Amino acid sequence: MSGQGLEQLVKMVNQISANMHGATDEQAADKVATHLQKFWARSMKEQILAYADDGGEDLTPISRQAVERLREVRAAG
Amino acid sequence: MLNYYDPRQHRPDPNQDLGTPARLSEKHVALTIDGLEISVPEGTSVMRAAALAGITVPKLCATDNLEAFGSCRLCAVQIEGRRGYPASCTTPVAEGMAVTTQNGKLAKLRRNIMELYISDHPLDCLTCPANGDCELQDMAGAVGLREVRYGFEGANHLDAPTDDSNPYFSFDASKCIVCSRCVRACEEVQGTFALTIDGRGFDSKVAAGQDEDFMDSECVSCGACVQACPTSTLMEKSVIDQGVPEHSVVTTCAYCGVGCSFKAEMKGDQLVRMVPYRGGDANHGHSCVKGRFAFGYATHKDRIKTPMIRDSINEPWREVSWEEAIAFSARRLKETQAKYGRESIGGITSSRCTNEETYLVQKLIRAAFGNNNTDTCARVCHSPTGFGLKTTLGESAGTQTFDSVMKADTILVIGANPTDAHPVFGSQMRRRLREGATLIVADPRRIDLLKTPHGGRMLHLPLRPGTNVALINSLAHVVVSEGLEDQAFIEARCESGAYRAWRDFILEERNSPEALEAVTGVAADKVREAARAYAEVHNGAIYYGLGVTEHSQGSTMVMGIANLAMATGNIGREGVGVNPLRGQNNVQGSCDMGSFPHELPGYQHVADPAVRDRFEAAWKVKLDDEPGLRIPNMFDAAIAGTFKALYVQGEDIAQSDPNTQHVQAALTSLDCLIVQDIFLNETAKYAHVLLPGSTFLEKNGTFTNAERRINRVRKVMPPVAGKEDWEVTQDLANALGYPMNYSHPSEIMDEIALLTPTFTGVSYAKLEEQGSIQWPCNEQHPDGTPTMHEVDFPIGKGHFAVTEYVPTEERATRRFPLLLTTGRILSQYNVGAQTRRTANSQWHDEDVLEIHPSDAELRGIREGDWLGVSSRVGHTVLRCRISDRMQPGVVYTTFHHPGSGANVITTDSSDWATNCPEYKVTAVQVEKVSQPSEWQKRFEHFDRRQRDYLESAGNERTTDEPAPMGK
Repeated sequence: MSGQGLEQLVKMVNQISANMHGATDEQAADKVATHLQKFWARSMKEQILAYADDGGEDLTPISRQAVERLREVRAAG
Repeated sequence: MLNYYDPRQHRPDPNQDLGTPARLSEKHVALTIDGLEISVPEGTSVMRAAALAGITVPKLCATDNLEAFGSCRLCAVQIEGRRGYPASCTTPVAEGMAVTTQNGKLAKLRRNIMELYISDHPLDCLTCPANGDCELQDMAGAVGLREVRYGFEGANHLDAPTDDSNPYFSFDASKCIVCSRCVRACEEVQGTFALTIDGRGFDSKVAAGQDEDFMDSECVSCGACVQACPTSTLMEKSVIDQGVPEHSVVTTCAYCGVGCSFKAEMKGDQLVRMVPYRGGDANHGHSCVKGRFAFGYATHKDRIKTPMIRDSINEPWREVSWEEAIAFSARRLKETQAKYGRESIGGITSSRCTNEETYLVQKLIRAAFGNNNTDTCARVCHSPTGFGLKTTLGESAGTQTFDSVMKADTILVIGANPTDAHPVFGSQMRRRLREGATLIVADPRRIDLLKTPHGGRMLHLPLRPGTNVALINSLAHVVVSEGLEDQAFIEARCESGAYRAWRDFILEERNSPEALEAVTGVAADKVREAARAYAEVHNGAIYYGLGVTEHSQGSTMVMGIANLAMATGNIGREGVGVNPLRGQNNVQGSCDMGSFPHELPGYQHVADPAVRDRFEAAWKVKLDDEPGLRIPNMFDAAIAGTFKALYVQGEDIAQSDPNTQHVQAALTSLDCLIVQDIFLNETAKYAHVLLPGSTFLEKNGTFTNAERRINRVRKVMPPVAGKEDWEVTQDLANALGYPMNYSHPSEIMDEIALLTPTFTGVSYAKLEEQGSIQWPCNEQHPDGTPTMHEVDFPIGKGHFAVTEYVPTEERATRRFPLLLTTGRILSQYNVGAQTRRTANSQWHDEDVLEIHPSDAELRGIREGDWLGVSSRVGHTVLRCRISDRMQPGVVYTTFHHPGSGANVITTDSSDWATNCPEYKVTAVQVEKVSQPSEWQKRFEHFDRRQRDYLESAGNERTTDEPAPMGK
């Protein structure tokens, strides 16, 4: 997926980050990562990870942290 | 002695009319009736006591869903030690009372009364539509009336005119005995107060509205008066046309989430009328204009009767056999997966189909497609309820029964319009309001519930669309800052850490009503008043609808509602709770049955290996451990070219989902679209395979309503195309090489019970025995669970969630200065595919745009003008209705007619957690125009072409015209 589809995913993850709250940014990012792992389809996760690999310039700081956290969660299996 | 204690335990036969309503007093009174000893709750009438003892007292004006009236005098009895002949319907039992219901004097008295009635009643029994189903006729027989000594020469009502204005029933005043049952039914059962007795004495007559035709009055055609009428005065036109039905089957309505029980009254396999079933636990014998009358679509000529296929959507349809259609579908699905991968196909389950059918579709997807790309229309309505309630209370469902509202002291309704969208429950709510409960409505519009006749205290919080979370936070702020919390509940039942974090957050000054007044538009003192009205009473109950969920913060708002209920201890008993009002008949069921891509049946996550193990063992297949695509993700993936085939059962995504042009683009990107539906709906126009669906009248199964009540759906006629929907899914699975061999939906339910911990005790046998079951039904709750969370939550302690208000990005701008919100009306249902094909269209034949007088004046707009409505994604044209139900700056429309294009305007903005679309907030501009929009012109062209393609396959020309009654 590219273009519009990817744009939509970036918008979605940023919206989740804006609405998820934690005591610290790290905690918030953790929650966002858990949310993505729990509710997003495999293909969507793979795309957002690839986007982050490419720089992920439109990801907000929490989203960026969350996507990295997601990568760790998935690597840990 | 006969003892009648709790009437719930000693449930009388629902087909027997006991004359007056039950009394629930725990104190019992013993008396004798015709020498028979009986003990009944204090307050019970002599008539009801007699009926419970098996003694029938003649009656005309009494019926047990209405309070006694004492006007016909036919039920007179004698009571030892009392003078005269008291009416047994209005006389309460007393300790030691000795009642005589039959003797020579009473017989003479009753004969005289009947003689007077009959002296002003047409004697055309043999040709009367009520012949054989007439209480007047029965009573004449019962009292032994043999002659009428008074002639018909004097003044009489025999030439009184018939009002035929209502499409479903007629009012023949010449047959009226002025018993007032219709008037009282309209007041007590429906709560509309449309009927009255005009005139006095001999001139008394039943009048609708201000003595108008029924159609011109405020009558909502619920049918309560027709059901109450003891003669043929108020009579279904279908019975007038076809005669009295000969057998009946109890089943469940397929319209809204109330899930009313009906008796489908039949002649052979022809449905004559639907009569609300008095034994129905959701509706107790009441109905609305949809369930009661709008069933003609089932036999409409537009029904798809043969499977059809085509290679491209630019080709006419070809009628084929079931075998060929299924083989074609299976081949195309396999080819698509071979070319684009396992995850390139998916399916959508239907919230209109049965639990068993929904279960089977998601099983087909997970087991035969081999992925989790399953979703359902709850995505676009109540998915935030699932997320929000599961996070806070631990279960994705409402907490109460409908009857619980009768114990509520304050009813808080947020973003719901029960009198239109859940009419039978709306009537029950109104009954409670007439008993004095306080009503608080948080809604941008002044909904009709606020106009409840004889209701008590009513507060309206007219908030701006999109500011729900700000409002709920400010309500909670008042509760906490004014010390209105239920500390004992919070300490005993809720997680303390999360509670403290929430409390600190909510107490912040920025969450006060004063600080948020500028955001919500609701005056701070009104918010404070409402918060006190909810929190200070013993029982506060919250009811909410899509006005809560269909927002970018829908999930946050659901959690905010749960927080408020927990903070005030309004959870875990009758009269309180958090109650989502579900839109479609089986939205609750489709969610329960594992329609969502991340959850197997019973809300069990696909990533949980223990859960998967059990399903894999039962289904004998390896399951994917990752969630699949949700509906909006499927559309995005289709446009991106990675998602290529879709199986849609009983849902019209092309009309109901937001941003129609985006949906159309997605559907046209598919290589294979399989639609299973009863009509050529909007989605089917983009399909390659059209499989005929069956209506609720044509199949067996169960629906689960908004109170988690599982009700039986029973087949009353054969499916028009020969297959119930679950059979089609089963055929498709077999053709794909995944064996399914069910011979009856009860076997599917047995499998559901095996795999779903909250359904362990559910079976068709138990449903027969109990009538209905509210899940959870398992070892801990063998008879089901009317009230949830009485002792603890499924997650142990209740979880307070911090609910930060994050405004939507969809906001009014200079270019789009108005906010559009969408909704429903009483006579039409959802996309209208069913109701548009009935006479219900006489009430609503087009979607209109409601606009406040000041916004209209500013734009030089008048009532009836054509209005162009534009948003950042699309443009459509609707006719104008000027309405002060709206607040300035807010416009409103419905989406019942496809050509209206209401969803051409709504955007892809959605709930952050669930992608539930933000139907309730779209920034728009409105201006006067003279012609349809470009989209509408394209729609009309495409629509005409697709109808031609259907016709050329040998089908009749489709129209939206209603079927002739009863044909």
